[in-house]
Amino acid sequence: MTIATFMFYFFEVMAALSALALIFVRNVFYGALLLLICLLSLAGIYVLAFAEFVAVTQILIYAGGILVVIIFGIMLTTKISGKPLVVKHGNWLAGIFAGISMAALLMTFFSQESFSVSPIPPVSKYGAIEQIGIQLMTGFALPFEVAGVLLLITLAGAAVIASTIKSKKI
Amino acid sequence: MAPIDHFLYLSAFLFSAGIVVVIVKRNAIMVLLGIELMLNAANLNLVAFNILQPGLFTGHMFALFVIVVAVCEAAVGLAIVLRVYQHYQTSIPDEIQDLKE
Amino acid sequence: MLMVFLLPLVSCVISFLLTDRYAWVITLTAPLLQLISMIGALIVFFSLSAEPYTLALPWFHIGEFIFSANLQINAVSAIMLVVVTVVSFLVHVYSTGYMAGDENNRRYFAMLGFFTFSMLGIVLADNLLLIFVFWELVGFSSYMLIGHWNQKPAAVNAARKAFIFNRIGDAGFLIGLMIIWANAGTFELRNLLLQTEVFSWQTSATLCIFCGVIGKSAQFPLFTWLPDAMEGPTPVSALIHAATMVAAGVFLLSRIFALYTPEALDVVALIGIITAVLSALSALVQTDIKKILAYSTISQLGLMVTAIGAGAADAAMLHLFTHAFFKACLFLSAGAVIHVLHQAQQQTHTHFDVQDIRNLGGLRKKLPATFFAFALSGSALAGIPFFSGFVSKDAIFTGLWNWATMGTSWRWIVVVSAFLVSFITVLYTFRLVWFMFMGEEKSTQALDVTEAPLVMRLPIIILAVASLWFIITINPVDFNGWLFQILHPGKYFHFNLMAAVSASWVLLALGTAHRMYRTGKNFNVKIFQRAFYLDFIYQLLFEKPVLALASFTDRIDRHWIDGVLHSGVYAQVTLAHIIGWFDKWIIDGSVNAVAATSNGLGSFTRSFQGGKIQLYIFWSIFGLIIFLIWMLL
Repeated sequence: MTIATFMFYFFEVMAALSALALIFVRNVFYGALLLLICLLSLAGIYVLAFAEFVAVTQILIYAGGILVVIIFGIMLTTKISGKPLVVKHGNWLAGIFAGISMAALLMTFFSQESFSVSPIPPVSKYGAIEQIGIQLMTGFALPFEVAGVLLLITLAGAAVIASTIKSKKI
Repeated sequence: MAPIDHFLYLSAFLFSAGIVVVIVKRNAIMVLLGIELMLNAANLNLVAFNILQPGLFTGHMFALFVIVVAVCEAAVGLAIVLRVYQHYQTSIPDEIQDLKE
Repeated sequence: MLMVFLLPLVSCVISFLLTDRYAWVITLTAPLLQLISMIGALIVFFSLSAEPYTLALPWFHIGEFIFSANLQINAVSAIMLVVVTVVSFLVHVYSTGYMAGDENNRRYFAMLGFFTFSMLGIVLADNLLLIFVFWELVGFSSYMLIGHWNQKPAAVNAARKAFIFNRIGDAGFLIGLMIIWANAGTFELRNLLLQTEVFSWQTSATLCIFCGVIGKSAQFPLFTWLPDAMEGPTPVSALIHAATMVAAGVFLLSRIFALYTPEALDVVALIGIITAVLSALSALVQTDIKKILAYSTISQLGLMVTAIGAGAADAAMLHLFTHAFFKACLFLSAGAVIHVLHQAQQQTHTHFDVQDIRNLGGLRKKLPATFFAFALSGSALAGIPFFSGFVSKDAIFTGLWNWATMGTSWRWIVVVSAFLVSFITVLYTFRLVWFMFMGEEKSTQALDVTEAPLVMRLPIIILAVASLWFIITINPVDFNGWLFQILHPGKYFHFNLMAAVSASWVLLALGTAHRMYRTGKNFNVKIFQRAFYLDFIYQLLFEKPVLALASFTDRIDRHWIDGVLHSGVYAQVTLAHIIGWFDKWIIDGSVNAVAATSNGLGSFTRSFQGGKIQLYIFWSIFGLIIFLIWMLL
């Protein structure tokens, strides 16, 4: 067993366990931390899948951005008190049914298919991150632009929605 | 290198776990967490399939855009959760039933 | 002819339809319609040819059997038609006076019209079944009329008794009809009378029909209803006795006379003479005017039936014809006496039984017209020469004499009895007249009695005149007059000596009566008074056993049938409980289950829209799962 394989299984198990724990945990804050573990594990898996840029983005945006926002949200929606925010569970049967059947179905589909590696193209003279940058500026220019606009709108919208200033429209 | 099936099974498990979390947890923020988990499962799929085509980066690109959209979703979603909390003084989705029937 | 037949019905319908406010109209319309009917009947009578006139009316058919409601007029029915309509008309006129002020006038006149109509139906019908129908209608209307004063218990009882006695006879009639139908296959009198062969079933059939006649014409042993029926209004009694009810029986006998076998006729004659003797003896000692007249009617009917039994149906019809007039006259005059005495009583507030002849006497000075009419018709009843009764009685005696000379010795007993009846008839008629009109006034002395109104006097006078001899023959000692020629075309054996014997016999009786009753002495024989205890015997024979049987069946009923019923009831209750349980749990349960299912389904589907976001998500994922499974398969 190479170190890479060990790392892969380790990250895999970590992601799976943290996701499983996320189902059963009752404290929202712990949930956020479990999700953080899961995301970091996934970032490790991305690295092992030769997607370094995606992995870095995952760590930066998810772990650094989204989770921070989520923790802000947790804190803002919790009354200031010593008690942790405990979440009740509902619809147990529906959830477990949906989850198990979905997992079973997806795994059935995956097991029925066999994926083969396509022939290796000629190795590019650019590295992977350079390739991505070229792709963003050429083939994916429009999605890139749209993503930028989307982010701007989201920024403005989130600010407007979350603001405590009472406007007449809201 | 581990076979691609491992990625797929892991993504399936994460997706299902996200579904369970979304359905079961009675808190808007936990629902958001579940949604993030599901998005990450999809992302994992995209990255995994990109392994099959070493010269191309389409999967990576899609993964990046998904992350961007997830950021937007998280930001707007949390803003809405905050707003709803201010209005209803609760973050439990089932108690917000003004649209009922 | 149809008009004659239907007008009384029209009168009846009019009387029923009019409201009480216009009740006075009925007193005009009812006699008027009867008058038209009477004139029509007279026209029919005088335009009668030798051949019977038939009006064919198809009635209904079952399979190939066709029942026709044919109407037929022959000589006999034409005479009956005239008798019925004339007497009915006069009774109607008389009733307008007699029943004036009665609050149930409407019903009275309606039933009077209906009575006449039914009787005309019997007279005209050419179908035994149809005759039976009208026969029953006559019984019904007589029931209504006898019980007209339904506030009097005696009247109600009398009506009931008349009805029941008629029912007993009618049962026999019905059986006779069945025998005829089973053997001859037809009810058409024309066809029945045409056959010349004599079958053995005819004896039983005709005797059964004779049972009906016994009931209707008040023959022994069912005659006691007729005296009781005197509780009804007097005009009704007149109608019953003269024209309609009791005459129906005699008429029917003569109508189906050809069907009777000699054996049956002997029975008929015996019954008739027994009736005649018994009721004549009863009439001798009665004290009630109307009851005397009732018993005399029974006795005269007995004579007629005897004559029919002796084969002299035409003589019987002749006597029926004359009897109708003088008996109607007698009743109406008696009614007039009762009526005026009642009114006089009300003015002076004295009370005694005005119908009791012992209280009467010497009324000839106060009521000369009534006395005149009563004496004339009484003479006719007694059979004094120059009166119609003498002539018709002569015919009957001649027929009886012929019959007796042809047959065995016992027939002479019948003849002697008939003569005895004739003798007694004179006695009780004389007694009646003497007690009522002759001698000294008794209880009526203080009363201010005036004659009855003209509407009552006029019919009495007409009928009294009609009881003279010329109504049937020119020669007062020869019954073979114009009327008898119609009844019996051709040569008829006439026995001149009979007339002489009869006349002297009657005169002898008259002398005896004068000697007996001149002093106003009253004989009373208990057994005659009570009509030979027939009612008592009935009571003993039928009522007691019936009551015993009733109590016996009652016991059986209590012990056995009730027990069975109770167990049945318990079983039913148990079953009901089981069914109730079943109902509650199975049927209600299933209904409730359906309701609960739909309720659950409703709330289930409602929960999709329950505003619960996570359930929305679940359902969408559920749909996705189903889609994936479908893909997988």
